[in-house]
This record gives sequence, C-alpha cells and structure tokens, in this order.
Amino acid sequence: MSTQTKKILNGYHVVFLVQSAMLGTAILTLPRELSAVGYSQTVFPLLFGVIASLTLWPMIWLNRKYPNENLFRINELLLGKVLGKIINVLIILQITVFIAGTITYYMDLIHSTTLPEQTNTFPLILLLLLLLYIVSGGIKSIARFCILSFFLTSGIYYFSHWAFQKGIVSHIFPLFNFNSHELFDAMKRGYLAVVGYELIMFYFPYIKEQNKAFKHALIGIWISISLCFITVFISVIYYSEWQLKNIKFSVLNLLKAGELSFIERIDVFAMTLWVFLVISTLAVYLWSAKKGMESISDKKKKYYLYILAIVIFLVIKLPFTRDFHEKLYKVNDYLVYVLIVWPIFLCIIYLLRKKQVQS
Amino acid sequence: MDNLTLSIYRKACGTLKYKLVRTTKVNKQYKKAPTAEDILADETVKALKEITNDIQDIVFKEIPTSEGIVTIIHSSSLVEKQTLEKSILIPLCDYIHQIHQLATPVDLKDFKGIIEKLVGGHTLMYFQQTHQLLSMDTYSAPTRAITDTATESTVIGPQDAFTESLQTNISLVRRRIRNPMLKNEDRILGTESNFKISILYIDDLVNKENLNKLRQRIDKVHYPIFTDISMLMQAIEDNPLSPFPQYYMSVRPDTISQYLLDGRIIIFMDNSQAAIVCPTSFFEMFTSIEDYYNRWTMASLLRMLRFFGFFLTILITPTYISALTFHPEILPYELLLNIQESRSKVPFPPIFEVLFIELIIEVLREAGSRLPTKVGQTIGIVGGIVIGTAAVEAGLVSNILIVLVAVSALLSFLPPLFLMSNTSRFVRYIFILAAGFFGLFGQMLALAWLFAHLLRIKSLGTPYMTPFIPRKATDLLDSVIRFPIAFTKGRKGISRAQKK
Amino acid sequence: MSRKFLFIATIFAAIFLVGCSSKEQRVPLEDVGMVGIVAFDYIDENTMQLSIAIPQYSSHAQKNTEVFSVTTELASKGIIDIEALSDKKITFSQLRVVLIDEKFARIGDLQRTIRHLYRNPAAADKVLIAIVKGVSAKELIEADYPDKPNINFYLNDILKPTINTAFNPNTNIHDFVYTGTNPVIDPIIPVIERKDQKIEISSVALFKNNKMLETISAEDAYIIQNLQKKHKIAPLSITLNQGDGTERLVFNIVKSKVNIKSNKNIDSPKLTISLVINGALIEYKGKRNSSLYTSEGLSKIENDIDKQIKNNIDQFLDKLKEYQVDPIGLSEYFRMYYNGKWTKEMTEDITSKLQIDVQVKTSIISTGTLD
Repeated sequence: MSTQTKKILNGYHVVFLVQSAMLGTAILTLPRELSAVGYSQTVFPLLFGVIASLTLWPMIWLNRKYPNENLFRINELLLGKVLGKIINVLIILQITVFIAGTITYYMDLIHSTTLPEQTNTFPLILLLLLLLYIVSGGIKSIARFCILSFFLTSGIYYFSHWAFQKGIVSHIFPLFNFNSHELFDAMKRGYLAVVGYELIMFYFPYIKEQNKAFKHALIGIWISISLCFITVFISVIYYSEWQLKNIKFSVLNLLKAGELSFIERIDVFAMTLWVFLVISTLAVYLWSAKKGMESISDKKKKYYLYILAIVIFLVIKLPFTRDFHEKLYKVNDYLVYVLIVWPIFLCIIYLLRKKQVQS
Repeated sequence: MDNLTLSIYRKACGTLKYKLVRTTKVNKQYKKAPTAEDILADETVKALKEITNDIQDIVFKEIPTSEGIVTIIHSSSLVEKQTLEKSILIPLCDYIHQIHQLATPVDLKDFKGIIEKLVGGHTLMYFQQTHQLLSMDTYSAPTRAITDTATESTVIGPQDAFTESLQTNISLVRRRIRNPMLKNEDRILGTESNFKISILYIDDLVNKENLNKLRQRIDKVHYPIFTDISMLMQAIEDNPLSPFPQYYMSVRPDTISQYLLDGRIIIFMDNSQAAIVCPTSFFEMFTSIEDYYNRWTMASLLRMLRFFGFFLTILITPTYISALTFHPEILPYELLLNIQESRSKVPFPPIFEVLFIELIIEVLREAGSRLPTKVGQTIGIVGGIVIGTAAVEAGLVSNILIVLVAVSALLSFLPPLFLMSNTSRFVRYIFILAAGFFGLFGQMLALAWLFAHLLRIKSLGTPYMTPFIPRKATDLLDSVIRFPIAFTKGRKGISRAQKK
Repeated sequence: MSRKFLFIATIFAAIFLVGCSSKEQRVPLEDVGMVGIVAFDYIDENTMQLSIAIPQYSSHAQKNTEVFSVTTELASKGIIDIEALSDKKITFSQLRVVLIDEKFARIGDLQRTIRHLYRNPAAADKVLIAIVKGVSAKELIEADYPDKPNINFYLNDILKPTINTAFNPNTNIHDFVYTGTNPVIDPIIPVIERKDQKIEISSVALFKNNKMLETISAEDAYIIQNLQKKHKIAPLSITLNQGDGTERLVFNIVKSKVNIKSNKNIDSPKLTISLVINGALIEYKGKRNSSLYTSEGLSKIENDIDKQIKNNIDQFLDKLKEYQVDPIGLSEYFRMYYNGKWTKEMTEDITSKLQIDVQVKTSIISTGTLD
C-alpha cells in the first residue's frame, strides 16, 4: 500500500510541521522544569537544539533508505512482522497517552486561569472534535493549520517586551553555574519541551523533496529552539531563582507584566490563543497514531481516528487519582526519549542486515 | 431517437405504407412519389400541433407563397411581431429565396429538439408542397435596458451592469475583451426548464484542468430549475455544506473581464444578472474592482478595513459576552464600572442580551429589505432610534452593547460580496454561543474551527486560503495591501494560468 | 462523508452544549464586586484585619465606595467571610492596590500574605503595594476625600509612576516577591500618609529579611532609582553647599547613564559607580546668578553639582551599609561572577564590606529660560 504514497508536502510544510509538533504546552513550564540549574538555564535551549539536530540525523538517514515507508513499516521490515507490530502498538499507546497528557495539562491551565468555575468535560469534547476535524483533513491540511497557528501565535512574543524591559540581563551570568547532577535533572525534565520532531519519521513518505528534508526539519527545529530560548531568557532576567522554581506557568506570568490601554490582561488572551499551538501539536501526533493503526491492521479505515479519540477521552476521564494520572503521564513522557534514540538502534540493525546480505 | 420521435416515426411509417398503396392505385394524383422524409415531416407538424394544443401562445399560421402554402409556427410571447414580420413574413411573400438561404432545415429525427427550438423562440416554417421543415432563430423576447448597478455601485469606474439577458451580458464582456481567444461554451441545464448557461474563458490563459473539472461538474448537475446563478453556484461548489461562498459573484462587466484576463472561468446564465468566477480565494471575497481604480494607498486601507472588519464583526459581540461573564479582568476598571452601571437594570445574562439585540438587528434588516425603499427607510429610523434608545432606557440592554452591535452590524456590510456579509453574520452566532459557554476559550476554539475549515475548503480544487498560503510570491503584492499598479501586473497564483 | 459529518457534528455539539452548561450558575458582571483595594492591618501574631474596598457603580448609593472588613487568620478565609457580608461575589480580578499598615509591615508575615495574592490567577501582577503610616490601612480607605472621585482610582493614580514622584519605586506584587526571594536585593515599598484630606507618598520603606526596617527620604529613594538604571526623566532639586553659601537649584534630568563595575572579588568587594547626568537647569537661587551665562561659570557649577551628588550618594550608601540592606541590588555585580550557590548571608557580607567609588559627571545642556 505504501509504495504509491503521494508526495504532497512541500519544504515549508515540513518546516512548520516539525516546528509545531515541538511547540506545545511544555514550553509554558520550561523555565520551571529547568529550574534545577537556576539562572544558568539560558544555555539549555541551545543545548537542546544541538541534541535535537544530532538525533534528527539518524531518523532522516533511516527514512531516506526507505523513501516510501514510515517508521511503523520500517519497524516491521527490520524487526520482523511480529516484533515490529508489538513495538508499533507500544508507540501508538505512547502517542495516545502523550496526547491525553498534553490535553490534561492544557485543560488544567485553562481551568486555573480562565474558566475556574467550570468542569472541563464539554470544552474537552469540543477540543477533541476540533482535533478530529483537523486530522481527518490529512497531513497537508494539518501542515497548513500549523503554518497558520505559528503566525497567529507568534504575535504573543511581542507582549513579553515589558518583562524584558524590567529584567536584569546580568542574571544570565555565570553561564555554566551548575553541577552534573543538576545538569542531568534539568536535561531530563526540560528536554520534553523540544520533543516532537521525531514525528517526521511518520510523515516522511509524504515529503516531496526528501533529500532536502533534513535541512527543512533543521529550520523547523531551530525556529522552535529560538522561541524556547526567548522564553527561557526573558524568564531568567525577569524572575528570581525562587520564582523560577515555584511559578507553574512562567509564560503566563511574563505576560502579566504589561498592559495595553484597552486590554488590561494579555495573559488571558494569550493562554486561550495557545489552543492553536496545542491543537497543531496534537494534530500531528494524532495523525501519526492513526497511521500506526492503519499499518497494524493493513487497512485504511476512517473510524480508527474516532477510536483513538475515544481512547484519549477515556484516558483523561478515567476515575483514577490525580496522582496516578500524573505518574502515568510522567512515565509516558520519558518513553518519548526512547522513541528519539530508537532510530539509532534501527540504523544499527539496518547496517548489520546489510552486511549479512553482502557476506 | 427518443420515444416521442419513435412513435411519430412509426406513425409516419404506417401512413407511408398506406400512401404507397394508394399511390400505386391512383398514380396520377402525385407528381412525385412522397418519400419517407416527406411523410415524416408531415407527421411531425401534425404531432407538433397536437402537443402545442394547450399552449396558447404557439401560433400556427398558413401563408400562401409562390412555393405553395407555408405553415409558420412560432411562440408569440418569445418572438416580437416586428421581428417576425421583418425576418419571416416579408421574405416569405417577397423574396422567398432568402428564406432558403437563411433558414436551416431541422433534424426531423429529433422531435424533442424541434419542440425545444420552438419554445426557445425559433420560428418553424413548413412548406406543405415540398415537405420541407425549416427553422430560423427569431428569439426576441423583451429585455431590460442596460442600467447601472444598484448592488455593486462604485464612485469611480464604469457604471454599466449586466442585465438578465445572456446575449447582452456576453456582449458587455466581449466589447471589453477583443480577443479571438475569448471562447464561450453554451450548455443547456435544468431537467425541466431547459435554460442556457454560457461558460466563458480565454483559451490561451485558462487552466485546462480547472476547465475540465468545471465541465464535468456542470454535466453532473441534475436539478429541475435554477432561477438564479447563485443556485447553480451552490450546485457546483466543492463544499456545499460550508457557510462560505466559494465563488465570486458579480454583476459588473469590468470585474468579470478582469477575472477573465486573469485566467479564471466565468459562468453566465440566461435570466440571471450575476456571473460567477471560478475559482476564487477567500481573500478575493473582500476585494472590489474599485480597489484598482483608487490610488494604491487608499485601496490598501479599504482592503484592510474590509478584511480585518470581517474578523472584527464576528469577534466584537462575543468578546463582550466573554468579558462580562468570564473575564472581567481584561477590561479597564473604569470601563467595567460603566458597563456595570448600564447593565445594572438588565435582567438577563449577557449572552441573551446579545442574542436579543443581534436578532433585532437581523429583523430590522430583513424588514427593511422587504419593504419598498421609502417605507424601508422609515423602518430603519424606527428601529435604530426608537427601539435602540427605548431598549436601553427600558433596561433591556446596556447602552455599550448597542454601540458594539451597531458597529459590528456595520462592519458586516463591508465585504463587497453580499454572500460573504451574510456568512459573517451567520458565523457570528457560532462565536456568540461559544463565547457564552466557554468565554474566550470557546471563542478561540471557534476561531480554530473557522481557520481549520477555511484551510480545508477548496474552490474548484484550489485551496480557498490562498494567498495566505501563497501559490505564488507575487500574490502577496496584491493582497491586503494593494501595491502600486506596476507590481500587480502578474496573474494570480490561484488561476494557474498558462501564461505568466 | 465523514468530513461532512464532522462538520455538522461540530456545529451541533456547540449548539447542544449550550443547554448543558447553562445549568452552571454564572454570576453576571453587575453582581460581581470588583475589589480595588485590599488592606491588611496587624492585630496580633496570628490575626489580622482584612479590609476591601469595592467601587459602587449605582448612582443611588450614598457613598461611591463600599468598605468591608473582617478579622481573620488567613487571607483566603477572610475573603469568604466578606462574601457572606456582601451582596455580591467578590473577585480580585481588578485589584489595584494592596495597603499594609506599618505594624504589619514591621512584624507580620508580609511575604506570605503577598504571595497569596501573587498565586491567585485572577489578580494581576501589577497590583501596587504601599505602606500606610500614621493611621491604620482601614481608616485610610474609609476616610473622606471630598475633592477626589473614588478612593480606588485615587490611590491607584497616586501610586502609579509620575514625573513628580520619580523616587517612588512603584513596587507591585511581582516586584515584592521578586526582591523578597532574590538573595541579592532587598524590597522597598513606598509609604503613604494622610495629610489634610489628601494622601501623599511621604517616604520609602526599606526591608530586611522581609520585615520593614527603616524609612528613607524621597531624595535617598531617588538615588536607588537612579542606580538601578531606571532612567526616569524627573526634576532633581539639589542644595549646594560648596563654598558659595547655600544655593538651591532644580535640575531637570534629561538623560542619565549609570555604569557600575565590580572588582569581582567577594573577599574585598569594591565597586566603581560612574554616573553621567545630562540635564537642564530650570531654577537657580543663590549668589552665582551671573555666572550662569559664562561657560566657565557653568562648568564650575557643574563641578559643584558633581561633588554634591557624589556626597549625597556616599552618605546614602553609608547608611545602607549601616543597616546592612541592599535595595539597589549592588551584590548582583558580584553574584554574576561567582560560581556556586549565592546566599543571603553572602549579600549581607558583601554589603558590610563593600567599598564604593562614586564618580559623577554632570553636564548642563541648557539653562532653559532662566534669567
């Protein structure tokens, strides 16, 4: 089925698909996640950028070997049908729980900032319906939505200039004021803000100019990284170390710093506008999960999407304790790291197999 | 051959057999043996008479001429007396060879076609002696004169507008584009009404893929009657369920000519004043031909007004609801106290207050548009002043809301395309409901839906949201800001024209 | 097919959900009491008096502000108690000013109380804080200000940055939490007093370990603003006493530039502060009236101003050294070169040991329309 994959994604589509998948809700709390290293966190986004660029390379390399297959198929091809399918099921589960986690997270934010007196069931259903509507349009329509949400929401960054004016730039010094333990802690918790680029392994077969995909994905990664950097930089100069550690949504408070003459609070607007970023991120994830379902059953069915949506809804609404949910999401988040290094493992298998064939 | 023709044919065959028998019997009665054709023609005229028995304006008239008696059949309501006289009666009596030169013999095997010709304004002539059935186009139904447009008037620029006559409309375009490559294909549509549409395009500019797609869609249309081209438009749209119009509609020959020269396809319909432009982008719904007549600075300003006005009109009143029910913190303190004071007497929650006054505006607009102009104005004054101020004083709505609703109503009339202005009013209700239940968050969800929807719908296979996702970089020179004329020379990406 | 289905489903879901959520009671705006001022008064170690002021919109109301106050142990408990008193739902979404009486600032746990507001997502970060001197905070908001419109707006306007109160640090709750939790800097809060049916900012309170320590004069507070590189255009009045008798002049600062350099040594800390001030002389009273028109005369006055400002700064910094507080954040210039954890003790250590070399360079760019 995958040999006739239609090539529909242009270069700029790839740039923004990569960029949007990375920029979701994690950036809102990035300064807090990095607070183990205190004021020295400014360098971390750049560090993450380098790591992301390095780990992107094996992904693209592997995909270039199979220009018409996505990761699910590659898993099956390299690891055998049974093992490959088991891994694929795990990936789909991981993505599903990740989506559930992100939605929960964003709903928490909405609940605590803009809709404090309301249950979140109905907004949640609406959000999922909207997500389904966007995803059912296919990867190109998702890519278009990503481009639009980037340009709509990038305006928010303008409103951080009050915080920038008030900040004291010397906070960023000394640049490397942390020990290895703190470094590891910050890496572990903060890197989540930049994951999402690994999804290129799923939509790679749709890219028109596959030989330039690495370049385009890099542009996307570094757009996200620079936004992360701006967030972290302004947070560092604006907050004290105590605030970095204790403020849950630092972007929210950064935006509280200023006011326009006719709108007193930009943060309310910004946090609700953030739904564009959340939806564009989740749409790419959901689409990938749907592709996974298709590759497992070898059939293309529209209702897979609805099944996924229902599963997500159930995961969010399961009557477990809040603590359990948080643990579930946390464990799941760390599984993303496995997915990021997974292609390296596959590359090794690929090379070994090739050698076997040759000898 | 359809059933009707077949039955006539059979009848004719029967007669033929009978006549042939008679011919052998009374050989001298005929100079020449009647052929099958002759008898078929005979029977056709008989059948015509039978079928049009109940159509009072179909006239059968027998006129003696030098070639024997000629039966003239025509529809008196579609053919003017003068035309009939000039092109049929006088030549028949005086210069009968002219008739043979100008009129065309009809295809006797297509009886349905003959009837269609008759009800389409042709005049049929049956030469009884020679069994010839000729037809001539004498369609001369009364038409309206070319007047200036009431719906799309501009201050600068040509003032003529299309009429309901297809011929006139095409002539209005042809006199602007004197180019042999301007083609028009006629189609007959409507399963019951048999009216004519015409597809206009410039052959060496138009995108053939688009043209074929449109032809296929038109061929697939199966609908009894279209009384206006806006109905046809809905039948050939990509997303008929969408609240957004996907083709531009205009009654201005200059607009249509400009789009033709950009490589678009234009559809005209007989008895319909407007023409539609396929494909069109979302942004073009907010452009007017006057933008090119104005200086680029003013044109850009107006375009920005119209375009951002669309988003303002769907967001102003919902934001009022959100701010008052969910987020009082976003408004300045002093303003909030004012609103509190003016709302202190209002008994309903803001969402009902807004719905109430928005519906009143709709009612006023609808009432005003149904009534004659002079009464309509009165209604406007009554509605605007009496109901508006009285509602505030009675404590039904707050006075700040009146201002907001009035502004958003005015903004909704900014798009030059009336269908778009209707759409903006409809979409506003979705936003009002969303804001009423989830505040700004609901509004943003609705906005996300709106954008996702706009990004998904297509106009004749082309994404509706060009040039925001530009197909060509030069499209941006003629978008929200209209650059000076020298920059806007290139054709739009959406046309995918053959020439640059 | 499913595309159409989704489209319709989205619209209908929106419409039907309308019915579902209307069950939830939502308080319309006119029934919301938007608190403009919160005031905390000290009663004893555990209890405080919480007062709030809500502007009244109704033209029938006798007073334009409603004031509620309760005695409570916790701020949030106090709000609930007040809601029982009021006919309205209390919200902090338009909170503008937090008032604290002097005793609470000196003894009470101010940092915790302010953090409570800081954590509240409804309250903005730019809620201004002020300390009330003389009377209790409750009395201040309850008092009559006959020629002022509404205490809510009046207080906010006073505390907002203006040219004539350039010394005002405009401490908002973010600033207070920031300075209170940052080891290199100590909070300062403006002090207001009621004088003749008017309110004025009389001085600025210095904090040490989140407790109010001392008040400093407006002139000294202005130095803090200047050294914190907050370039405010403001008139500066100086009394010169440099050999030519007592001269008074008012100097309008157009541009000031501060450059602070540290020797990066925390054992023997030393700072070099160079201050460049450009301004216009707008008023002069003294003996040297005639020398205003010669460039030599002017440069001599400039020199004298330099000396006087340097003097003032030196004196002020000595005072800070004595109190061991650092409201300017001078220790930041040592922290930024220090690898490791910075603590409050290190700041105190630095402040007490700090040697400061102040260099002032004033230039009078115009003498305006003086004669």
